[in-house]
Amino acid sequence: MSIAQTTEMGGPNGPPKGTLRIKVPKQLSDTQAAWFLLAPLLIFFAISVVYPVIETIRLSFYDIRGLAPEKFDGWRNYVKLFSDPNFLTSLKVTFIWAISATFFSVTIGWGLAMLCSLNPAKTLVFRVMIFAAYGVSEAVSGFMWLGIYRPDYGLLNGILEGIGLSGWTQPWLGNPSTALGAVIVAYVWTQVGLPLMTCFASIQSIPKNLFEAAYIDGAKSGSVMRHIIAPLSMPGVRVAIFINLLNSLKAFDLIFILTGGGPVRSTETVGFFMYRESMLNFKLGYGAASTVILLIAVLIVSIPLIMKRTGDAK
Amino acid sequence: MIGRTPRWIVPIVGLIALIWIVPIIGLVVTSLRPISEVILGWWSLEKFTLTLDAWTVVWDKYPLAYAFWISCKIAIISTAIPMLLAPAAAYAFHFLKFRFRRLILILIINAFVLPNQVVIIPLFRLWRDLGMIDNIWSVIIPFAGLSFAWAVFLVKNYLEDFPYDLIEAAQVDACGPLARFFYIVLPNSLTPIAAVGILQFMWTWNGLLLPVVFLRDELPLPALLARIQGVYDRNWDQVAVAAIITTIVPLLVFIIFQRFFTAGAQTKSGSKE
Repeated sequence: MSIAQTTEMGGPNGPPKGTLRIKVPKQLSDTQAAWFLLAPLLIFFAISVVYPVIETIRLSFYDIRGLAPEKFDGWRNYVKLFSDPNFLTSLKVTFIWAISATFFSVTIGWGLAMLCSLNPAKTLVFRVMIFAAYGVSEAVSGFMWLGIYRPDYGLLNGILEGIGLSGWTQPWLGNPSTALGAVIVAYVWTQVGLPLMTCFASIQSIPKNLFEAAYIDGAKSGSVMRHIIAPLSMPGVRVAIFINLLNSLKAFDLIFILTGGGPVRSTETVGFFMYRESMLNFKLGYGAASTVILLIAVLIVSIPLIMKRTGDAK
Repeated sequence: MIGRTPRWIVPIVGLIALIWIVPIIGLVVTSLRPISEVILGWWSLEKFTLTLDAWTVVWDKYPLAYAFWISCKIAIISTAIPMLLAPAAAYAFHFLKFRFRRLILILIINAFVLPNQVVIIPLFRLWRDLGMIDNIWSVIIPFAGLSFAWAVFLVKNYLEDFPYDLIEAAQVDACGPLARFFYIVLPNSLTPIAAVGILQFMWTWNGLLLPVVFLRDELPLPALLARIQGVYDRNWDQVAVAAIITTIVPLLVFIIFQRFFTAGAQTKSGSKE
């Protein structure tokens, strides 16, 4: 460890030489030093977190269209949101999206992690292959999946025709009833690597003597999986659920590339609704109100995390 | 090494892994076949020719090299900022006492839950008023600002195991709080700083939402890819090349440094090993 190297600076062989003897004419107090070290970060943080959050909440009470002067509007934006069928659809889509994407990513990742943990050495390459999908830019993943879903010569329709199910072929992203499912499949493809890795790490930290004891008692790998690996990998599963849930609530990139929210807004999440209303329709106040709803949803999901972090912050 | 392993495990996982990289294979194959074959599906085998045409043409067709340069600038600057500032802040939070310390710390480390969408409308108005739309700093500032939540947390977690004796020894030797940071803590925190750098580089290189909203012509690769897909969707082979160039750098970084990503993920969620 690098800590060992520094000990030689003030080490056992007498006083520190060179670097440590800094001539500080007047030392800063702890408080001054703290603010000095924190100031640049706080400036960035104020501009890009504190100000936007407060301003988004403020703007959500205003009627703002493009460059026209803003006009205080009370709760009108929120009232309008909840009677806007497009917004209600986006709430529903976000809900389906977050729940199913998280469920499938975590289940598949966890299952794979348990399989891989039975033979960690030989499955290393395969783990990296699956994990690699998580490292591909979402914009690029979107393009890859376009090639699979293309109605004319996409891979999926090609396979269906090849196995004699030509009746099932369809424009997967152009059909409102299949588009959301298709985008979720692509999204799950990008996400599975993460639960795979967190669950795998969790399984690796299970004490080995538990397995030995189980095998000595004559347990089969099936029951080892059910009674040891599954319950003891829960920490990894929990981490994966939280991250996937948070990420999927914010999802934007893949939808932007694959469907742009369409067809007929069937793949439009709240995160995308906000983009459409504020950046394409220039209804900034309305978009801000939908962002506040998104923020509330995210905060509700992350209450346990926030409590834990706040408690740990010493 | 867990006892007797059933034989079917490795082939099954291998099969799933192979299916998993089909989209990636498809992308590479698409970029290597002439468009006349690609439009029949990259997997069609009636005629199979490999060509580097798309790879040579694409540079004149799309401003790829320029976008690559923009991506480098954005990713490197937005990575350098938290690499410098997060350790300083983590040190201040962990070893120094000052007013509002806990309050500021709680605010910063909990900001990790914020979706990017929250910053868009206010910053769009701010950049517009300041004439900063289409300036790469309009993307770099929020990229850096939003990273501190997890970056400070990651470094501070690491400092919790930092030997306090070293700090005290330096204090005895008349090291002020700044010197203690620059000469003792900083050189010994290179591991978490590297982790911050790698994670942030990936996320800022791949980011799409902020560049799409704040930039017009100075587009980084993912935003350029999104645009050319909409405009020239017939040239699948060339878009495939652009897609590979978009993702090759982060993908390599990712594969080489994968262990940092699991660590980073755990930091994001707040659990510690």
